[in-house]
Amino acid sequence: MILKVKKYTFLKSGILIILYTCLAESLLSQPTPAPKQNGHTLIKNATAHLGNGFIIENSVIAFENGKITLIGDARVVRLDMSIYNRIIDGTGKHVYPGFIATNSTLGLIEIGAVRASNDQSETGSLNPNVRSIIAYNTDSKIIPTVRSNGVLMAQITPKGGTISGSSSVVQLDAWNWEDAIVKEDDGIHINWPSMYSTSGWWAEPGEIKKEDSYAAKKEEIIKFFKEAQAYCNLSFHLEKNLRFESMRGVFNGTKNIYIHANYVKELADIVYFKRDFEFSKLTIVGGYDSWMLAEMLKENNVSVMLKRLHELPERSEEDTDLPFKIPYLLYKAGVLFCLQNSGDMEQMHTRNLPFLAGTASAYGVPKEDALMLITLNAAKILGIDKQCGSLELGKEATLFISSGDALDMLTNNVEHAFIQGREIDLNNHQKDLYEKYKKKYAE
Amino acid sequence: MRNLFFGMLCLSILSFANAQQTFHINGVQNTNNNYYAFTNAVLHVNSVTTLENATLLIKNGKVEAIGQQVVLPPNCVIVNLSGKHIYPSFIDLYSNYGISEEKKETSPSFGPQYENNRKGAYNWNQAITPEQNAFEKFSIQPEKAKELQKQGFGAVLTHKHDGIMRGSAALVTLGSEKENIEIIKNKAAQAISFSKGSSTQAYPSSLMGTIALIRQTYYDAEWYAKGGYHAEFNIALEALNHNANLPVIFDVRDKLSILRAEKIAKEFNLNFILKGNGDEYQRLKEIKTTGRPLILPINFPKAYETGDAYETKNLSLKDLKHWELAPYNLKYVNDVGIEFCITSFGLEKPENFLENIRLAVKKGLTEQAALKALTETPAKLLNVYNEIGSLEVGKKANFILCDTVVFSEKAIIYQNWINGKPNIIKPFEPIEIEGTYDVNIKNNYYRLSVSGKEEALKGSIFLVEKGIKTDTNKTEVAIKQAEKQIAFSFTANDAKFKGLIQLNGNIYFKSGIWEGMGQLPDGEWIKWTAIKQQNGKEKNTDTVKVKTHMADSTQPGKIWFPNIAYGWDTLPAAQILLIKNATVWTNEKEGILKETDILIQNGKIAQVAKNIPPPLNAKIVDANGKHVTPGIIDEHSHIAISAGVNEGAQSVTAEVSIADVVNSDDVNIYRQLAGGVTAAQLLHGSANCIGGQSAIIKLRWGKVPEEMKVENADGFIKFALGENVKQSNWGDFNTIRFPQTRMGVEQVYYNAFTRAKEYEANLKIFAPKNVTLSKKQSKKITYQPPFIPVRKDIELDVLVEILNQKRFITCHSYVQSEINMLMHVADSMGFKVNTFTHILEGYKVADKMKTHGVGGSTFSDWWAYKFEVNDAIPYNAALLHSMDIVTAINSDDAEMGRRLNQEAAKAVKYGGVSEEEALKLVTLNPAKLLHLDHRMGSIKSGKDADLVIWTGHPLSIYSKAEKTIIDGMIYFDTETDVLLRKRNEAERVRILQKMNEAKNKGAETQKPKNRKPRQYHCDTLNDEINYDEEL
Repeated sequence: MILKVKKYTFLKSGILIILYTCLAESLLSQPTPAPKQNGHTLIKNATAHLGNGFIIENSVIAFENGKITLIGDARVVRLDMSIYNRIIDGTGKHVYPGFIATNSTLGLIEIGAVRASNDQSETGSLNPNVRSIIAYNTDSKIIPTVRSNGVLMAQITPKGGTISGSSSVVQLDAWNWEDAIVKEDDGIHINWPSMYSTSGWWAEPGEIKKEDSYAAKKEEIIKFFKEAQAYCNLSFHLEKNLRFESMRGVFNGTKNIYIHANYVKELADIVYFKRDFEFSKLTIVGGYDSWMLAEMLKENNVSVMLKRLHELPERSEEDTDLPFKIPYLLYKAGVLFCLQNSGDMEQMHTRNLPFLAGTASAYGVPKEDALMLITLNAAKILGIDKQCGSLELGKEATLFISSGDALDMLTNNVEHAFIQGREIDLNNHQKDLYEKYKKKYAE
Repeated sequence: MRNLFFGMLCLSILSFANAQQTFHINGVQNTNNNYYAFTNAVLHVNSVTTLENATLLIKNGKVEAIGQQVVLPPNCVIVNLSGKHIYPSFIDLYSNYGISEEKKETSPSFGPQYENNRKGAYNWNQAITPEQNAFEKFSIQPEKAKELQKQGFGAVLTHKHDGIMRGSAALVTLGSEKENIEIIKNKAAQAISFSKGSSTQAYPSSLMGTIALIRQTYYDAEWYAKGGYHAEFNIALEALNHNANLPVIFDVRDKLSILRAEKIAKEFNLNFILKGNGDEYQRLKEIKTTGRPLILPINFPKAYETGDAYETKNLSLKDLKHWELAPYNLKYVNDVGIEFCITSFGLEKPENFLENIRLAVKKGLTEQAALKALTETPAKLLNVYNEIGSLEVGKKANFILCDTVVFSEKAIIYQNWINGKPNIIKPFEPIEIEGTYDVNIKNNYYRLSVSGKEEALKGSIFLVEKGIKTDTNKTEVAIKQAEKQIAFSFTANDAKFKGLIQLNGNIYFKSGIWEGMGQLPDGEWIKWTAIKQQNGKEKNTDTVKVKTHMADSTQPGKIWFPNIAYGWDTLPAAQILLIKNATVWTNEKEGILKETDILIQNGKIAQVAKNIPPPLNAKIVDANGKHVTPGIIDEHSHIAISAGVNEGAQSVTAEVSIADVVNSDDVNIYRQLAGGVTAAQLLHGSANCIGGQSAIIKLRWGKVPEEMKVENADGFIKFALGENVKQSNWGDFNTIRFPQTRMGVEQVYYNAFTRAKEYEANLKIFAPKNVTLSKKQSKKITYQPPFIPVRKDIELDVLVEILNQKRFITCHSYVQSEINMLMHVADSMGFKVNTFTHILEGYKVADKMKTHGVGGSTFSDWWAYKFEVNDAIPYNAALLHSMDIVTAINSDDAEMGRRLNQEAAKAVKYGGVSEEEALKLVTLNPAKLLHLDHRMGSIKSGKDADLVIWTGHPLSIYSKAEKTIIDGMIYFDTETDVLLRKRNEAERVRILQKMNEAKNKGAETQKPKNRKPRQYHCDTLNDEINYDEEL
């Protein structure tokens, strides 16, 4: 009897699911977040790109309760197939850890030109207390289009002002921002003053001149940090200063410091800034000239989130392919760095993040190391490498299967993707529209 | 001799007649018919004739006689020049001397101004003011005149440097008599420019708009003269026609714009004198071909500060090379035989003029050419050589007196005579007191050292004590000299005196002895003397002869084509190429051929086959393991455009053309070659419903714009729909221009094409016919209305071309409603849309597009940047393609343009287009859309040899273009690229070193700066003419 009821319920809910799916297709273009992983999943015989520089040509990967329980060479590991509820044959396919989009504004801006949909930069200059996570829109229509190319995590980053605020790391399949959090308030972002400024206005740029106020602006940041440090030396204040309060993590080492800058002299100043405050680590975001200071950055444990590679050279006589090969230059010098895609139309371009790694590889970084630039290296810089960023035992099962090389647009084709073991829906409204019109013309 | 004297007498009578004036004279008239004779001179009559030991005789402001045996009349003031030089004074054709700056009205206005805000019967455009007359605004500016006189100028052509058509310019002398006397010719020329100046009217907002406006205005003037005046009175057109015979001074400002102006000159048969900006050496051949005279500035750039490699890294090679070559410009221009004059305009300090001329001479400009360019040429260009420009009898007595050849390094100009009146610049024999003196003050001996010249003397003094040879007590001395009088003072603090000592005195014996009175600290007045020490570094003034200076023997760097990073030393040449053993993507029915050879001859593909035997002299390229594809064609590009991609000030601007503003100096051309791009359509932006005409170019890096354009290509024009044209994202002040909705957009098209049709009909009906009426007929006609011809409208002309299938539309489009709308407009007005570009919702109306027969050129995966791209999907290309619509993928972006092969690969990913078909999206299909598929887009014998050799699969991210070939010439080669990079860096360091040397020699420097040229996109607005970009 009990069994019957169960069956009935199953059937009923099955119908409901079908009904619901139909409704979802017609009414909601947003995929529904996947439920918690139930059971034990095995992917066998795929080429596993571990994200830590290693590759297993013929692999077995298993995960349960969202964590990787097994990873190894299929020819060596002895499997008890009976423990797996789901077995995916990955023969001829490739498994990757989910790609991580650092320095991203995904979910903060929906449509670039529509001001109402823009939540990326707060007004004012020193806003360390501003938090991007609460503005992160899990229902952004852009997110599903990004996941279907293998980008499964992102660092949601505020822009604007001198100190923009705190970023947070999220996974890209969630009901709401709380649900999405991987690491809340992972670090604060500073826009280092620029030594050069462009005269004229946007439509009539003049020459780029040395900025006289650079020193003063730099001093403003240092002064703020000194005062915040002094404030944080006391654990309790009767009158709270919200700005300083938000800096506690910076001084007790729980928050990262991300400083956005590109010009070589600015980068050197940032290294001195780190030394003066004796921060254990610090990340430069942008770092176009970072390759010129590679040794210095390495020695001082400064990591880099490198500027979008698919850009023109900053200076007219630089090697035409310099932006493409900066990863190689940093790689050769042993700097810890990852790739990011900040720039024009950056939200929608998040889905092209894998191809930045592809370009890095085309211009000298060995393929598996290029992969690290959007997986483990990103996780290391964000401080989440213990839990994700590579396919390793015990880490979160945030990974995907592609039928071909995922770093090349010609072959990137994501068939299954899992976030913390949950198989996510790879559909998006663009695919829906595609199917809709394909059907129209087929008739 | 007798004849000469007689002639002189006649002249005197004539000049008496000329001496009458209209002015009232207060007091006794100062009639002066005396002669001035300058004897024993080296007389430079003009640039070719120099007379030694000659005499110049002048009277009443005119040259009376010149020669070696001039008989001096008795009423003659004689000035013995003892070997000094006389030159005709210089003429500057590009001046604003005497035209005071008018204060600009600054009323805060945020919205765009679409109409002329000047009240009156003026031209519709505020920047067209040919009715302005410089002579009406002219007033003598003594201070400025003095500065110019010091530099040797005697006359200038002046006008207000503001606006596009600036009116007439006046030729004036630089004297200080009445304006009535100084104006030689009230209307000596017209002035125009490519810069709209202080006009606050929105149109034109780009260089191409300016060009169109100039052309339309000239057509309007023709129309006006032929009867248009019956239709309206127009102050500007009246003036333009009235001044039509004057030469035109055209401020074009850079080398490529010289070629742009030349097109206008030819179209209207105009007599242009082009004011350049000093970079003409970069395109000598083409500029020479124009045959136009030039006015050239000599404001050579300052050296940049060196020594900080991180800072100098920001300097562009373009600026570095220009710094080195700019002083050679005049030499190079002269060497190829271009007629030119020289202007002082643009100099930071007026006194740099002679300095820079002398530098140019040092760099190889002949003195003769320099003098000609400053005298004869400008005078002849203004048809006033009978009055000024040389020192022949009867001409104005405008001349300068110098100690030696004026172009030698330290030559001194003593006097500048204008209209026979002297302006003293320096005394003939200046008293120089530089040296060391023993000063006796109450029998105490002081040692005084003086340095510098009369204007800026410096000195120090100390007490000479017995037995102590010390100057530790040295005190500064304030010293002033006025010819032979001297005054100096110092605060003594020594064994004898403490306090202020002031001494005044006179100079005797060639500055050797001073004597005078002075006051001591205690108030006592004393006598004092000073005697110059003979053993000091005294100059022997008698024997100083300034050498005609040595020419600079150091060679400058080569001029590159273009003269920026990656420019060529020598342009690539055509050759016979044999590409061996490649995987060839033919884009023909043969498909992909393995281990195949391609033979290239005369710029064309001669043969595609296996094992082609190599012809003689063939360069063999081993492409084993490599892939060869047709060159990539970008249907939608905005690279290589000068000064504005949008003429966004009106909703219909069919009159403007990107073809007028192609910029061959854009490094992105080279960068795109490195990405395998061989051809591109340079489109107008999308700021308005009917934008401008486009240019289709091959990326022939190093050539000039005209040579880059694809020969005999069909003409195209940009249309645009949606948010950009209705100004959705232009901010809150741009809410006036029609249309502001998609509804209005449709009406713009109907209106434009309706007007175009009527215009075409009118042209046919009212075409000028030679109908002669019989007597009977003409008797019948009692009243004939005035004949008003049809006004040639260059905007409507282009729309008529569209109606007649002579020009084709590429339309920027996003949402399905507007796409549908334009096809309806087209169908009902009788034209076709050739291509929808962007066309991101094309997939929704693919069936309708198919019916209309329009192609689509789209982005691979862009969306989410504007509201209207909400439904943009990366499957668009695949869907359009599957509907048999000719589909291309374009860049609209200078960076993505160099990775279009990767963008094509996305069509494989999104929608499963086959690899072969995907490649066609960026090769054959854009060629079809541009009507160039008969010669580009596939690899087939007879087609243009525009090819790319890839290191691997052409659609893979891991492949790179190894060689990019256009017309059979290798324009990009990874091996050459490595050499060019090294050469760039070596050139940079070489020039930096030279700058360093210049700085050490005392040259002025400036801080390093960077120029990052703007990258244009479709919706780049209002990029008003930013000439700096091109320098």
